[in-house]
Amino acid sequence: MVRLNNVGKHDVSSDILRDSLRKMLLIRHFETRGEMAYQQGKVGGFYHSYAGQEAIQAGCVAAAGRKHWYTTTYRCHALALLLGAEPNAMMAELYGRATGVAKGLGGSMHMYADHLLGGLAIVGGHVPIATGAAFSIRYLEQKGLVSFCFMGDGAVVQGAVHESLNLAMLWNLPCIYVIENNHWGMGTAVKRAVAVEPIAENLAKAYGMKSYTLDGMDFFDCYAGFQDALQYVLQHSKPVLIEAVTERFRGHSISDPGLYRTKEQLQETMQRDPIVSLKHAMLEKKLLTEEEFKHMDEEAKSIVVAAMKFADESPWPDPMTLGDGVFNV
Amino acid sequence: MSKQLVETREALRQAIDEEMARDSRVFVLGEEVGEYQGAYKVTKGLLAKWGPKRIIDTPIAENGFTGLAIGAAQTGLHPIVEFMSWNFSLVAADQLISNACKAHYMSGGRYSVPIVFRGPNGAAAQVSCQHSHCVEAIYGNLPGFIVIAPGNPYDAKGLLKSAIRAKNPVIFLENELDYGDKMEIPVEEYLVPIGKANVVREGKHVTLVSYSRMLKFCAAAADILAKEGIQVEIIDLRTIKPLDIATVAQSIRKTHRCVLVEEGHVFAGIAAEIGFQIIEHCFDELDAPLKRVCQKETPMPYSKVLERETLPNPERIAAALRDVLR
Repeated sequence: MVRLNNVGKHDVSSDILRDSLRKMLLIRHFETRGEMAYQQGKVGGFYHSYAGQEAIQAGCVAAAGRKHWYTTTYRCHALALLLGAEPNAMMAELYGRATGVAKGLGGSMHMYADHLLGGLAIVGGHVPIATGAAFSIRYLEQKGLVSFCFMGDGAVVQGAVHESLNLAMLWNLPCIYVIENNHWGMGTAVKRAVAVEPIAENLAKAYGMKSYTLDGMDFFDCYAGFQDALQYVLQHSKPVLIEAVTERFRGHSISDPGLYRTKEQLQETMQRDPIVSLKHAMLEKKLLTEEEFKHMDEEAKSIVVAAMKFADESPWPDPMTLGDGVFNV
Repeated sequence: MSKQLVETREALRQAIDEEMARDSRVFVLGEEVGEYQGAYKVTKGLLAKWGPKRIIDTPIAENGFTGLAIGAAQTGLHPIVEFMSWNFSLVAADQLISNACKAHYMSGGRYSVPIVFRGPNGAAAQVSCQHSHCVEAIYGNLPGFIVIAPGNPYDAKGLLKSAIRAKNPVIFLENELDYGDKMEIPVEEYLVPIGKANVVREGKHVTLVSYSRMLKFCAAAADILAKEGIQVEIIDLRTIKPLDIATVAQSIRKTHRCVLVEEGHVFAGIAAEIGFQIIEHCFDELDAPLKRVCQKETPMPYSKVLERETLPNPERIAAALRDVLR
C-alpha cells in the first residue's frame, strides 16, 4: 500500500472529518435498512450494498467536492447520497415510488443526483460515459473540473475500460478512474479474473498513465490520495488511474450467499471497518467523543427510518405516466 | 429560390457544416473523418474548416468512442458519430442499447442524449456478410431511438439537420451506393421534419411502401407495371421510427392493396412491423393480403449472382405487386 503523506491526518479539518463520518454512517444505515426493506419485499430487483467500502467515495467527495462529474456502477447508493440526493428520494426510488430520484424508473442500480450520471449497470460499460464527461469538460474549457469514474475490480478486464483509458490518455482528458478492488467480481476472486496484479500500477503503465494505490479502508489515505490525484489531473490535464483496495462486507448482491469465502474470512475483514477506524482516529485526536458518535449514529439511523416511512407513504407512479420520458420532448 | 446540383455526400456535408456553424456544441467524431477526409468523403474539407477540436479522428475503438460521445451528449455537447459502416456499430452495441436510448428514461428525465449516429447501412457492392447488414430492425426494436433513412439528397440534408437539432438519440441510415446520387436542392437553408413520410409517386391501384436505396427498385418495378396499365403509389417513409402510419393508411384507403419492400431480412423486420400496423389501422380497407419483399434468410453472400438473389430486386417487387392485384 502506498501511503501518501503529503496530506497527513492532522491536515484534514475536523469539520470535514465529522461531516464525512456522518455521511459514512448514513450510508451504512441506508444500506442496512435498504436490505431489510428488500427482505420485507418492499424493494425489488437487485440490491448491491456499499457496506465496507464507505471510506473510498466519502474520501473522494470530501476531497474533491460535488461540482465535478461522477459516474459509478450499480453499487451506487453511497455516491448518490454523498452528492446530495435526499435519503427520502433515494429510499423512495428503491421502493419504486413516484417520489424517487428517478421517479421509480431506475431502481437500486440506477441512482442519480446532480452531477451523478448514474448508477450504470453493465460492468465496464459506464467507463466510456465517464470518459465522455471528461471530454465535455475539455471541449467546453471548464476550468477546475474533472470526471470521476468508479468501477469494480471485475470491470478492468472489459474492453470498454481499456478503450477508455487509451482515449483519455490520447486526448488528455481530465478523468480520474477509480478501481474499487474488493477482491471479488461477484463470486470470482480477482486472481481468477485478472492476469496481472497489482491492477492499477500495471494497467496504468500500459497507457503511460500515472497511478495510485490506496488503502480503501482508510479514510485518511483515500482523502489524501484523491486530493493529490485531483491536483495532478488539474495541473497536467491528463487522466489518472487509482486502485482503492477494499472489502465489501455483504455479498455481491443481496441474493449472494457468499459461499466463496468463509465466515472467518469475512469476520476478519470486518475487523477493518472503515467507520470504526475513522471513529477511533478521531477519538484519539480528541476530535470526537463517544457520546457525540452515539448521537451521530442515532441521527443517521433516524434519517433512514424516516426515509423508509416517507417511501412507504409515497404514491406509486401513475400508470398513465408509463411512456413519459422515453423521449425528451 | 436558387438551386444547386449536389450528390448525397455533399448534401450531408452541407447539413453538418451548417449545423456546426449554428451551434458550437456540435462536433463530429469517427474513424477517418478528418485527415483521411472520410471513408466516403462525407466529411471532406471539414477538418480544414473547423479544425481538430471539432472534427475528431478516433482510433478503431467503436465501443469506446461511441460511449464517450454518449457521455459528452449527456454533459452538454451535441456529437455526430460517424460509423464507417453501421456494421461496426455492433461493436458498440452495448453503448447504443444500454446507454444511448435508455439514459433519459432511466434517469427519470434528468439526462438527455442529443446525438446523431450516422453512416452507410446495408449492402454495398459485394462486400459480403460482415459489411452488409441492415441494422434498422435491431435499433428500431429499442424505445428511445429515432430511426431515419433518407432516400435522396434533398431529404438527406434536411433530415440530417433536423436530426442534429433533436433532443434525442438518432440512428441515421445512409447508403454507400447512394452517396453519388445527384439531385437539385435549394441553396437556401431548409429542414425536413422527422416522422413524416412522403408520397413520391402517386397511383391508384396499389401502394408500395419502402425507404432508402430500395426506393429505386420500387420505382423500377412501378415503371414495369405502368406498362401493364397499373398505377403504383410509392411511399418513402423517410423516418422509420416514429413511423408515419397515417400516410400509409391514407394511401391504402385509396388503393386497398399494399406491398412492403425492405432491404433487410424478412424475419422480424421493418416490413413485418409496418404490415402489422396496417392490419391494426386499416385491415377493413384491404382487398388483398399484404405482401412483402425483403432480404432472404441468408447472411449476405459474396458472389454477385447470389447477392442479387438474396436482395429484393425490381422483378421480385413487380411480381409481388401483380400478386396483390390478382
